[in-house]
Amino acid sequence: MEQAKPQQESQATESDAKHLASFAVMIVLTAIAFAAVTMDIVPPAMVVPLIIGLAAIQVMMQFFTFMHLDFKKHRITVTFIFTGLLFGVICVVALKYLV
Amino acid sequence: MSTAELEQAKTSAKLPPHPERATMEGRNKILGLWLFIGAETVMFACFFGTYLALKGSNLDGPTTQELYQIPMVAISTLILLVSSLTSVLGVLGMHQNNYKKMMLWFGVTVLLGFSFLGLEIYEFVEYVHAGHTFAGSAFGSAFYTLLGTHGAHVLFGVLWISGLLVQVWRRGMSLDMAPKFFSASLYWHFIDVIWVFIFTVVYLMGKV
Repeated sequence: MEQAKPQQESQATESDAKHLASFAVMIVLTAIAFAAVTMDIVPPAMVVPLIIGLAAIQVMMQFFTFMHLDFKKHRITVTFIFTGLLFGVICVVALKYLV
Repeated sequence: MSTAELEQAKTSAKLPPHPERATMEGRNKILGLWLFIGAETVMFACFFGTYLALKGSNLDGPTTQELYQIPMVAISTLILLVSSLTSVLGVLGMHQNNYKKMMLWFGVTVLLGFSFLGLEIYEFVEYVHAGHTFAGSAFGSAFYTLLGTHGAHVLFGVLWISGLLVQVWRRGMSLDMAPKFFSASLYWHFIDVIWVFIFTVVYLMGKV
């Protein structure tokens, strides 16, 4: 127990910095999305695909850093959540283009 | 982990590493919450699809271009994004056996959640004055169903986390509490994930 302690603490401080870094990246992604819409810096046809792409990246960061999802450790969980996402995307595309 | 070790871990102040997965009950709770999140994803996806299909049907009410104000959306987004960080800092506090840190950051998360709700209520009141109501048009119904369901999830989240904080404050931290805090933080991140799509699909795409 005593031997395991320092390693555990160094892991913990490491992950503090890791979470802050991924939070900074999320803020930057959000800022880019807002800037793309409010300022005239991206060709109009590219704005929607760009902001959807940024949102997708940000969600993956939430899953794999903040929600501690790890494909090797939690295969069943990852399979379920991505099945949910797949059905979700099918629902959105179907409602948008078929209704 | 043997029963004796488990009993010792339950009574002592220091929890094992990754206490939320130390018991079968904890692991099942977390898996159950992930299944719930998978189902919720599909529900919200249907609301998003409905909104995208109906956002042009505003009858004589205001359009998305006239209605949405980017500064207010930016503030809501910042609040919810920061609250996602504070709840993960709370979980890290739990992993470091630092319960003051855990309580502090989960407390900040609750406060940020309430300020988000206050801002959302203010926003809805503004919209109703502008003639954008639930029954006014198909756009209005789709908008308030999507945003209202998300807001209800935020409200449930702040009440849930507040309840956990009261429980720890009255009974102290134990191994039983660890999976509760962990799943509450997973739920809170999920609310933020939904908001990422709301600010992108509803607000920003409404301004393009």
